[in-house]
Amino acid sequence: MGASAALLSATGVLATLVAIMVDGRRAVAIAVVFLAAGLAPTAATFGGAPGVAVLGGCAIAAVLLAWFGWLGGRVLPWLSGLDPMIPAFAPADRLFGPRSTRAFGAAAAIPIASWVSFNVPVGQIAAVQGFLFPIAYAWVCGVVRLLVARTVEDLAVGVAMIAIATATAWLLRSGTDSFGGAVFACIAAPLAALLAGWLNGRSSRRPLPLLEAEA
Amino acid sequence: MNPLIIAAGWLALGLITSALLRRRTSRLVAIVPLAGATLTFFSARSAVAVVPLGGLSAITGLDRAGQGLLIAAALSMVLVILLQPSIDPSIGRSIGVVGAAATIAMASTSPLLTGLVLIAAVATLALRWIAQSPGRVTLAAGRVAGTGTAAILAASPLLPLSGFTTGDRPVVVGALLATGVAALLAVYPLGGWAAGIIRTLRPVEIAPWLILLVPVVLIIAERIPGGVLGAGSPVFEHVLLVIGLGSAVWGGIWAVRGPESTRYGRVFMADIALCVAAVEGARVSPAVTGALVILLTHLTLAPILLRAGDASLLWPRRVAWALLSGVPPSPSFWGRLLLLEALAAGNIGSTIAAVVAMGAIFIAAVMACATRGRPTNAPAWRERLADVAAWLLVAVGIAVGLAPQSLTGFVFGH
Repeated sequence: MGASAALLSATGVLATLVAIMVDGRRAVAIAVVFLAAGLAPTAATFGGAPGVAVLGGCAIAAVLLAWFGWLGGRVLPWLSGLDPMIPAFAPADRLFGPRSTRAFGAAAAIPIASWVSFNVPVGQIAAVQGFLFPIAYAWVCGVVRLLVARTVEDLAVGVAMIAIATATAWLLRSGTDSFGGAVFACIAAPLAALLAGWLNGRSSRRPLPLLEAEA
Repeated sequence: MNPLIIAAGWLALGLITSALLRRRTSRLVAIVPLAGATLTFFSARSAVAVVPLGGLSAITGLDRAGQGLLIAAALSMVLVILLQPSIDPSIGRSIGVVGAAATIAMASTSPLLTGLVLIAAVATLALRWIAQSPGRVTLAAGRVAGTGTAAILAASPLLPLSGFTTGDRPVVVGALLATGVAALLAVYPLGGWAAGIIRTLRPVEIAPWLILLVPVVLIIAERIPGGVLGAGSPVFEHVLLVIGLGSAVWGGIWAVRGPESTRYGRVFMADIALCVAAVEGARVSPAVTGALVILLTHLTLAPILLRAGDASLLWPRRVAWALLSGVPPSPSFWGRLLLLEALAAGNIGSTIAAVVAMGAIFIAAVMACATRGRPTNAPAWRERLADVAAWLLVAVGIAVGLAPQSLTGFVFGH
């Protein structure tokens, strides 16, 4: 029995929606875990158990590295600096906030991903067509997240989404180098989690001058 | 020597110097690019031009042009550091990561590996810029340049295109690669972020992008249509021709209109946009040679012109601007002449746009020659040394103008 393209797409889309909307200090790890889980059925269909292992390993590495990064940022007495959660600029008052913009971007990504899925064949040996939808959707949403980013955390989530989407696309392409390519493409996601965790750890140990003065 | 070892050298030295050096010894950051240049000199040589349009493959060596470019860029970076009035030692980290990324990108035939190292370089630079000056402009560097590297990554599973040279797949690949190149080279409409950081940050902060990353991406972009891109080639070439020319005109106009402090950055962006338009739009020999002459001119003169406008290097800076103006026999004259010759072989519209851009760059250079410097408080011996180094660079610039093809042949091998 062949895989249901609709089912594969549904899990990928739901996971991508979580990844594009999630905010907060653990956003990168949450986005990576959901996206890896959502794209795992697609990876299993084309890459088998090794394909699922790549995405699973990526999710575990992202969670662990985010935690290690946070711990390292808190413990090591290096420079204090950038808080990845503080927006780099204050936008003008407007009716729709950053999440609304992302939701609009996620809606606009559907026709783009649909076109890519039905018109762009993937694969080196046998071309696969029609299964690219969840991957293209995750990639376009990752780009949307990058383009409307207001914080470093947003940038890290965008990079992680793009890395996982690219890794799954490498699994779809089959051939001798598909597994290695997927592993390489995945690397950016745990590194983004490590970086975000490190910056979070550093900023969370920063003393608050007002509180210190009051004490 | 394998390019991976060279990249490891860049990275390790960058991290070590940024951790160990203090303000008094900060100029020793120059060790990072100097060591990079030395290691690259001994790198393993690839007999064929390296184009990142293949599958996942091992890195075997740098080709002759890549080796020459990386050495010239690293030496230029050394001089940028030595000629700056003051240096923040933590910039060693950015220089190390970008140098390593440039080495691997230049040596890799895999678009996946190229995309990943470019993401690392862009992320490092964007984080530094955001930390230096948090704002919409610096965040845009991460947003737009990050999207460019994401586009290169997205193209990687669709490459190589053997067996798929027609249909929508090569067109999508061509569009993705054009987006990546335009975003990384800051060609409009994806170039606003670079104009912003040139206005916002100190010149030395943008030097790793301007000197180490842009030339590498330009050389890679020049080679892409030569690979098997099939129906994607016209998309890639035409998109970059049109936006390159538009960007050159826009950059030239803003070099004239904008403040004095941003003038060199704008002229650099306009020249790079002209190179992109010519090498993609008119794939004949004069365009590539012209682009190499322009690159060599900027790598020679950037250390002088990226220094803040103080009075100590006033005359070397004026001569450097004259060499950049396009008046014969300056090197920029030969470079732009070759670019114009290549574009004129295409159509009249390209020629007119290029002439307008070159005219604007000439006016900007003349205006820059007329500006006065501000007095400095640096020790006299240091200013004297900087003066000597700047005049030596000017002499190299004049030599490039007198023998452009011989010197580009010496550096790039063709």
